[in-house]
Amino acid sequence: MVDSKKIGVAGAAVALVTILTIFGTSYMSDFDTARTSTTDDGVKTLELKQAPVLGSEAATVTIIEVGDYQCHMCKLWFEETRPQIIENYINTGKANLIFIDMPFLGSDSIPASEATYCANDQGKYWEYHSMLFTYQEDEIDGGWASATRLQAFAFNLGLDIEQFDKCMTTDDHYARVNYNKQVAVTEFGANSTPTFMIVNTLSGESQRVVGAHPYSTFEEVINSLI
Amino acid sequence: MNNIFGLVYSNPSYILIAIVIFLLLFIPLIIISEFLFFEPFFVFSIYPETTLSFSLIVTLSSLSSLAVSMNIYRVKLIKETKKIGSSIVGTVIGASAGACSCGPIAFSVITTFGTAGSIASSFLTIYEIPIRLASIGILGIVIFVTMKSLTRECRVKF
Repeated sequence: MVDSKKIGVAGAAVALVTILTIFGTSYMSDFDTARTSTTDDGVKTLELKQAPVLGSEAATVTIIEVGDYQCHMCKLWFEETRPQIIENYINTGKANLIFIDMPFLGSDSIPASEATYCANDQGKYWEYHSMLFTYQEDEIDGGWASATRLQAFAFNLGLDIEQFDKCMTTDDHYARVNYNKQVAVTEFGANSTPTFMIVNTLSGESQRVVGAHPYSTFEEVINSLI
Repeated sequence: MNNIFGLVYSNPSYILIAIVIFLLLFIPLIIISEFLFFEPFFVFSIYPETTLSFSLIVTLSSLSSLAVSMNIYRVKLIKETKKIGSSIVGTVIGASAGACSCGPIAFSVITTFGTAGSIASSFLTIYEIPIRLASIGILGIVIFVTMKSLTRECRVKF
C-alpha cells in the first residue's frame, strides 16, 4: 500500500520534472536559433520580393512576420502591437511589413493562407489578412476558417466570389503557401508563431524577435536598424 | 488555521522551499505564456486580454508552493506522502494548460505527432483557463485537507 503511494508520488514528480525539462529545452533551443540567425545575408529578403508588402517598398526597414491565421498570439500581436507599428513606422515610410505563412496549427490554417492569396489576386490581400485575424475564434479548426466562412469573408470584402471560389477549389496558391512554410522553417528557423525578422534592406543587418512582443521591443529594434 | 501557517513557516527553510517552488513554476509558466521574453532583450509585458491568464499563473504558483512546502513539513512529521502526490498532480495539470498555444512546444508536439498532436495542442489551448482553474481547485483542497490534518496531528503530538 505504502509502496503504491510512493510510486504515485514519484511518478507525479517525474512528470513535473519532465514537463519543466521540455519547457526549458524547447525555449533554450529557440534562443540558440535566435542567436545564430541574427546575422543574415541578402538571400532571405530576395525570397520575399514576391510577397505582398504593406507600406512603402522603398522603406529602409522590412518587418517580416511569420504567422499562422489560427494562432492566438498572432491575433494578440495583430490587435495590440501592429496598429502602433503601422502608425509610427509604416505610415511614415520608415518600414514596411511582409507576412510569411507558417500554417501548422490545424487543417484550416492552409486554406486560410491560400484564401489570402486568392484575395490578393483581386488586390485585397491585406484586407483579407486583417479580416482573418479580426474574426479569429478560440477553437483551432472549430469552423471559423471553414470553406464557407472563407467565402463569406471574401463576399464581405466585395471580392468576385466566382473567381475566389475557382481559386480556392483549384488550390492555385497551395504551392506558394507550402513554399512559405518551408522558408519560414528553414530560412528563418521559425519554430513558433509569431516570429519576426526585422531587416535593414540596405545593409542586410537583421534582428530576430520571437513571440508577441509589445510595441516597445519593435520600437527599439527598428530604431537600432534605421 | 493561522497557527498552522505560523507553525510551518516559523522554520525559515520552509519559507525558502516555498519561494523556490514558486519561482520554479512561475518563471517557466510566464515564459511559455509569453509574458516574459529574454530575446532580443529582457521584456516583461501583460496585455489587457491576458491579465486573467497571468493572475491564474500567480495563483497556481503560489498555491503549489504552499501545498508542496506544507506537505513536506507534514511528511517529515507523520511520514505520509498521499497529499504531496495530489499537490504535484494539481501542479502538473495547471502547468500543462496553456503550454501549447502557438509556441515552440506546440510546434514540436504537432510536427512529432501530427493530427493527434494538433488536437491535443488545440484542447490545451482552448481549455487553458478551465484547466488552470481545476488545478487551482485541486491545490485549494490539498491545502485545506493538509491544514486540517496538521491541526489534528499537532493536537495529538502536543
